This record gives sequence, structure tokens and C-alpha cells, in this order.
Amino acid sequence: MPVIARRDLYTSLVFIAFGVGVVVESLRMPRFENLGVNSYTVPGIVPGVVGATIALLAGVMLLRSLRRLQPGGDLESGPLAEGSTRRLLLTLTVTLAYGGLLVGLLPFWLATFLFVTTFIVLFEWRGGQARGRLGRTVAVALLEGVLVAAAVTFVFERIFLVRLP
Amino acid sequence: MLEGLHYFVAGIVDLLSWGAIFNVLWATLLGISIGMLPGLTATLGLALLTTLTFKLAAGDAILILICMYVGSIYGGSRSGILLNIPGTPANAATTLDGFPLARAGLAGKAMGIATAGSVLGTVIGMIFLALFAPLLAEWALSFQTYEFFWLAVFGVVVSGRLTGLDDPLKGWISGFLGLLVAMVGQESIHAYARFAYGNTNLAGGFGLLPVLVGVFGFTEILWVMKNPAYEAVKNATDSVIPKLREVFRYWATIIRSGVIGTFAGLIPGVGEDIGAWVSYAVARNISRERDQFGQGSIEGLMSAETGNSAAVPGAIIPTLTLAIPGSAPAAVLLAALYIHGVRPGPLIMIENPSFVFEVVAMVLFATLAILFYGLLLTKPLLLILRVPYLRLMPIIFVLCVVGSYAITSRLFDVWVMLGFGVLGFVLRQLSFPMAPLVLGVVLGPILDVSLRRGLVLSDGNLAPFFTRPISLVLWILILVTFLMSSGRFVKWVQGLGQRMFDRGT
Repeated sequence: MPVIARRDLYTSLVFIAFGVGVVVESLRMPRFENLGVNSYTVPGIVPGVVGATIALLAGVMLLRSLRRLQPGGDLESGPLAEGSTRRLLLTLTVTLAYGGLLVGLLPFWLATFLFVTTFIVLFEWRGGQARGRLGRTVAVALLEGVLVAAAVTFVFERIFLVRLP
Repeated sequence: MLEGLHYFVAGIVDLLSWGAIFNVLWATLLGISIGMLPGLTATLGLALLTTLTFKLAAGDAILILICMYVGSIYGGSRSGILLNIPGTPANAATTLDGFPLARAGLAGKAMGIATAGSVLGTVIGMIFLALFAPLLAEWALSFQTYEFFWLAVFGVVVSGRLTGLDDPLKGWISGFLGLLVAMVGQESIHAYARFAYGNTNLAGGFGLLPVLVGVFGFTEILWVMKNPAYEAVKNATDSVIPKLREVFRYWATIIRSGVIGTFAGLIPGVGEDIGAWVSYAVARNISRERDQFGQGSIEGLMSAETGNSAAVPGAIIPTLTLAIPGSAPAAVLLAALYIHGVRPGPLIMIENPSFVFEVVAMVLFATLAILFYGLLLTKPLLLILRVPYLRLMPIIFVLCVVGSYAITSRLFDVWVMLGFGVLGFVLRQLSFPMAPLVLGVVLGPILDVSLRRGLVLSDGNLAPFFTRPISLVLWILILVTFLMSSGRFVKWVQGLGQRMFDRGT
């Protein structure tokens, strides 16, 4: 099953579209003719060249993928990286909620405490655990949440004088 | 030469203060810890520490960062030997012989050899840094805008080729994507905000540190959380102090790996991991004990660790003298130098000649620190590997958020970190390497200004880009790099060579 060749095919189409889009946007950038600016310094030159290069490289990748997908073409076998999609989605949700929402809305120490505690409880809690075990997990999570929030705030703000969000 | 020696000695004397020694000790220890933990890279550690130390005096901050850099590349050997998982990508070659030695009950010996290799490799690289940096800076004074354009392209192309070993095409796409990321925001000639669409935040562009922290920090967290955890730690019960006779038996391998590692670091975008792999491969090809490689060869382990550690001072050479990073961690060091008011580049030997030798002195102190920790505190340091990674990940993410915010105090930078973290994860799933992307972000402004300025100077004539001597060498090297990645071209060259050989005989 030519999994990787098919994945590369779709990826190359995306990059070709992206590269062409960049070239189009670069051509739309102003050229400042009315200001008498040297045409070789216009803002669109370099992004246009880079975008065209990306489209070209992606085009080569597209041709290669098509060749590999043909019968008799050299096929790369190999499954996609294994792992837990559930854990990934959970991690994404919690981290994006903290970094994208909580920080800035709540005081930093509170947002950090909530994030660390929730993260540890979510990933260390197993369904069907005994109450005592669950209680211990929550206690450890709360403790780590407090320690991290306090330590990071203190070290960054007081010792290194760095502003926190 | 004598002046350099004078600056070097003065640099050492400056570092002989309790404050500096304290900084050396804690920063190296932190670096070793970060290097030991799979999921944390030297680049991330440096990026976070740059933000932590940006209010400190320049000398203290750079010392801390260099100790962190040397420590983290060395620290990765611990997990490589004990867990068969490299702590940083630079230690991947270490696992090939380090882990078999650990499995055979010789973990202590392996770690002692790794320490010796790292120390000797760093010393060899340090000697090259002291001798070559001033020479390269002087030679670089003859570089003009055309040469800097090709250097920027060369860095991206070579990085893409060597980090995308299975698929250089993806490495190049990653690199050019990085160049494009650097184009967002106000450009430096007309102050026009490219790709900003009226958004003030986008007009400021994507900061290098948030991008770095996103790609090397958040992406790594997502990756580690998705994929299974690493195994439990083995203990090291044998002695970690290597026999000198055993170390110096391979003196030729040490010197050769040190030189290879230094040159790997010297090439823009090619870093410690390539230094290790090339040193290992050459040592295996030349060695009389070739069959031992991969089974627990002391020589193999030594070559890998010497190679990756020598690349650290090697990568600092172009960073200081050309303002072009030799590796991804060196890219962070470059950003830190600018933050602290040091101007790296060809003029450094004119404006601030003592600085290069102060850096050499810092590398020396970092080397002594890893020798100290490596030989005397190996077993206590192993406790770090017992920390459950699930408890560590939220702490690292908090540091990623703080680190992204610290320099410019913009929440937008936190969102940049999140966005590039997700993008980096997607690209990594699709087997695109991240190092060329980061290098592209660093080299983008140089490429942008150099190309446009060059076109103005030559009035649109492309000839100077291709005919000036150094430019000629650079673009031919770039062309060869592209062509040698094509299997068909390589076969054609081999066929041509064979036909010429047949005619000759």
C-alpha cells in the first residue's frame, strides 16, 4: 500500500497551491513607481522568488509521487507513525486552552496552576481506579500545580526580572 | 597570534570569579539535564534560557548560554547509552555502540568514554575556534552582498540535504518555507509590511525565538505525548572513570573525529548530529575493528561523541565571524548575541576583538564543567532520568509560553509559538525536517537584503552573482548538492567515469 507516496501527492498539491499563492501576492505588492524607487528593491521580488521555488520543488515532489503510485513504481511501505491520537487531541486541547485563552485572561499564576493540575490529572487518571489512588493522583497534581506556578512566577519575575504574560 | 593569546588569558582571568564559576556550574548542569531528557533539545534549552537571561549583563548571559550549549550536547549521551534513545538528535550515533555496552553491563565505562570523547572533541573544536575565527573574519571582509546571498542559499540547501537524508526534497521545501516565514512583516528597505493585511502584529513579523520554541518545544511535546513513553532506566554499577590507556589508544580517531566535527559545525546549517554521523562513518570505514562497530565498540562511541562535541565550537565560528549560524542551537546563540548588543560578523575582529577569545575561554570552562560532572557526578545525575515525563511536559510547556512572551511582551508571540508548534507537528508527521525551517527563518533577512542590494549595485545584471570568485564557488557547490541528490544524475556520472576508465585501459 503506497501510503507515503499518496500522502506526498496531497502534500505537494498543497505546497504548489501555496507557492503559487505567494507568487500572486508578491506580484500584487506595491512597486512605488511614483516614488522613483529602484525597481530591483521592490518588496515583492524575494518572496516571489522563494514562493516560485517552493512551487517548483513541490512540483518535483508531485511528479515523483505520481511515478511511485504507478504499478511497478518504487513503493515505500511503512505505516504512519503510531501513537495515541486521543492523547494528542487531549494535549492539543489543554495546551491551546492555556496558551491561547487562559494566559492573558487570568493572572499567570492561576492559569499555570489550573493548567498543570488539569494536565497531570487528565493523563495520569485511569478509568476504574480505586478512590484512594485517584485521590493521590489529584493531590500530586495539585501540589505540582502550586509548586510550578509559584516557582516559575518567583524565578522569572523576581530573580531574572522577566515579564510574565 | 600573541594578541589573541593575551585576550584568551584575560578572558580566563575574568571568569575566575565566584559569580562566573557559579554560573558555569549551574548552567552546565541545567544543560546536561536538558540534554539527558528525550524530548528536550539543546535548541529549546538555549531558546528558553535566552529569554530567562535577557536582563543579565552580556558577559554573564553569553557564558550561561555557552555552558548550556556544551552541556546539552554532552548530556544527551547519558540517555543514548542507558535508554537507547538519544537525548538530543546529536547523540543518535552514540546509541549504536553506547547501548550495547550498557546492555553488556558496561554502562559506566560507556559513559566515561563518552565524557572523554566530549571533552576532547570540545577542546579540539575550541583550538580551531581560537585559530580560525580571526582568520575567517578577516577573509570575510572581502565578502560583498553577492557572497552573503549565496551563503544564505547555501546554508538552506546544505541543511536541507543533510537533515533530510532520506528525502532532501522535503528538507529543501522546509528550508524555503523558513525563508518565506522570515519575509512576513516590515521589510528593511522600504518598511513595507509584507503579508500583514493590515494587522499590526503581523507587521512586526514572526520573532525568531517564538518560532524556535514552537517548532522545537511545542512540537516535541505533542510528539512525545502522541508516541509511547521511553523505557525504565538501567543503572550503571561499573566505574565511570575511563582508563587513560584505553582513551589514548584511539588518539588518531579522536583527532580525526574532532576535525570532522568542527568542520561539520562550521558549515552553515549542518550541526552536531551530522558531525557525529560523519565522524562515526569515517571511523568505521578506516578502523581495524570494523566488525565491532554497532556491537559495543569503544572506538565507535568515542568517534560519535568527539564528533558531536567538536561541532559546538565549530558552529560558533561562522556565528561570530559571518553572523550565519553553524547549527540550530547556534542560531539561538546568534539571536542572543544581538539581544545583548554584540554585533557578530566580519567586523567583530575590528570592533570587539577580545570577544572571540572570551568565547574561547567560556568554552574551556564549560568543558572543564562537563569533565567534572561526567566523572564525579554521573550516578547522581542519573536520577534525572527517573522523573516521569508526564510530570515534566506541562512544566516545559509553561516555560515555552513564558519564553515566547518574555522578549517583546506580546501575547501574539505566544500564539506564534502555538501556531508553529502545530505546523511543526504536522510537517514532522509528513517527514519534513525542522532544522532547515529554522535556519531559513534566520537566514531569510540576510538573503532578502543581499539579493535586492546586489541587484541594485549591479543594476539588474546577474553576472556578478555568478562570476565573482567566491560566489562562483558557492553556487557551484549548491548546484552539485542539488545534482548529487538525484539518483539518475549520480548513475550518469558513474557511467561516464566508468566509460572514461575503460577507454583509458
